[in-house]
Amino acid sequence: MIEISHLYKQFGNDIVALKDLNLMIDRGEFLFIVGSSGAGKSTLLKLLLREILPTRGSIKIFGRDLARLKGRQIPFFRRNIGMVFQDFRLLSDRNVFENVAFTLRVTGVPTREIAKRVPLSLELVGLKGKAQKKPGELSGGEQQRVCVARAIVNRPAIVIADEPTGNLDPDTSMDIMNLLQEINVRGTTVIVATHAKELVDYFQKRVVVLDGGSLVSDQERGVYIHAH
Amino acid sequence: MHIRSLFYFLGEALKSVVRHGWMSIASIAVVAMTLFILGCFIVLNFNVASLAEDIKEQVQIVVRVEDGIDEQTREELQRRLVLHPELEEVRFVSKDEAMERLKIKMGDRAYLLEGYTEEDVNPLRDSYELQMKVPENISVVAGEIEGYPGVDYVDFGEGIVEPLFQFTGIVRWIGLAFMIGLALTAVFLIAHTIRLTVFIRRREIQIMKYVGATNWFIRWPFIFEGLILGLVGAALPVFIIQVSYQAAVEWIGENIYFVSLLPAEQMGSEVAHILIPLGVILGTLGSTMSVRRFLNV
Repeated sequence: MIEISHLYKQFGNDIVALKDLNLMIDRGEFLFIVGSSGAGKSTLLKLLLREILPTRGSIKIFGRDLARLKGRQIPFFRRNIGMVFQDFRLLSDRNVFENVAFTLRVTGVPTREIAKRVPLSLELVGLKGKAQKKPGELSGGEQQRVCVARAIVNRPAIVIADEPTGNLDPDTSMDIMNLLQEINVRGTTVIVATHAKELVDYFQKRVVVLDGGSLVSDQERGVYIHAH
Repeated sequence: MHIRSLFYFLGEALKSVVRHGWMSIASIAVVAMTLFILGCFIVLNFNVASLAEDIKEQVQIVVRVEDGIDEQTREELQRRLVLHPELEEVRFVSKDEAMERLKIKMGDRAYLLEGYTEEDVNPLRDSYELQMKVPENISVVAGEIEGYPGVDYVDFGEGIVEPLFQFTGIVRWIGLAFMIGLALTAVFLIAHTIRLTVFIRRREIQIMKYVGATNWFIRWPFIFEGLILGLVGAALPVFIIQVSYQAAVEWIGENIYFVSLLPAEQMGSEVAHILIPLGVILGTLGSTMSVRRFLNV
């Protein structure tokens, strides 16, 4: 479903963020992308979201080359990808329901449909009954659950989580990872960029290790490897 | 745009105005204050212009006819005046009529004129009162008429009229320059204030982009919000100016007789016709331009 071949990304003349990256991700996979800061994780995620364009090489998602997407097609492409952020990025002035409904409103889903789908999504992440709370009234773990609910409410094919547990304590982190795994079990491809060694080792999923912009390891049922 | 979307965007814009209460108040205040100053200047300028027009209309040349000229010379003089291309109106005032006017002017003391009213002893002269088509040319035309046969004396308020014309001309130009300057300042201030409100909400825009909102979907609520802020920001000064101008007109009408201001309804509608569209355009333009910078995510 995602085909990355000979991908290079360079910023300016001398900063090489990604070097000759090759990666295939199938439908329904669960994948960790690990690596220290500056390894190229964020750059890769930005490329996957078509926030930036590759310097060389190609990324194909659903068989479409992202570099060939026209500006006005990008929003429609992004509706297939749910994003979960380290800092949650919730709208603090709207309640939980509205934050999750946001994704659907943006894509023009009728209000009646929104009223059906948002509660389902909130129930799935275990936030039934908190729909009317503002993000500020929730714990960090609960806020991240809202973020996950927002990412899955329009049933995207892919969910990308960028350091989803970076701001959470270990127990809460485990909850969120379990939640992402559950979503994966229901058929969604899940890509998690993370530093969290314990979680990566615990879940025993496919692990892709980046170091200095290169892919140094890609293992099924892998563990966190510190690159040198 | 779908009608459902229109209501959604309008609703979002209204909610946003309320949600960002302080920022909305700041924007409205900036729009209102700049447009208020502009509005005051418009009121001032329109009144000065109308006063200048009034004065100009009162400007006239008085041609006194030489005493004891024959009928033929007088008719020739009248013919030349009537045919003069620069003159709007030519009115003959006989010495009897002049005497009647003088009596009215003197009111209670008209008895002093008794004894001068007989045809033979009337010391006044026949005269012509001339209205200019273009009042600014008055001194040239007066000089020309002075040379006509049968003319004794030409009076057009020399030394008063010309500086007056210069003065009103200068006031109008300064007024125009100020209005343009103020309008530009208003554009600048409003654009910056709205840019600030958009900047505060760049996160929201970013999230919208991530969940797949099209640029127009993001833009519309901002456009409507700018429109609402501009409209309210313009309505306030229009209202304040109308009320205070009405009061000023009434006060001046009662206390200062010789100044006549433009009527309040007319002035109010002039100000509204300028400020309201200006506010709406400024608000809409300001927010549209500001959003554009944050759409490239």
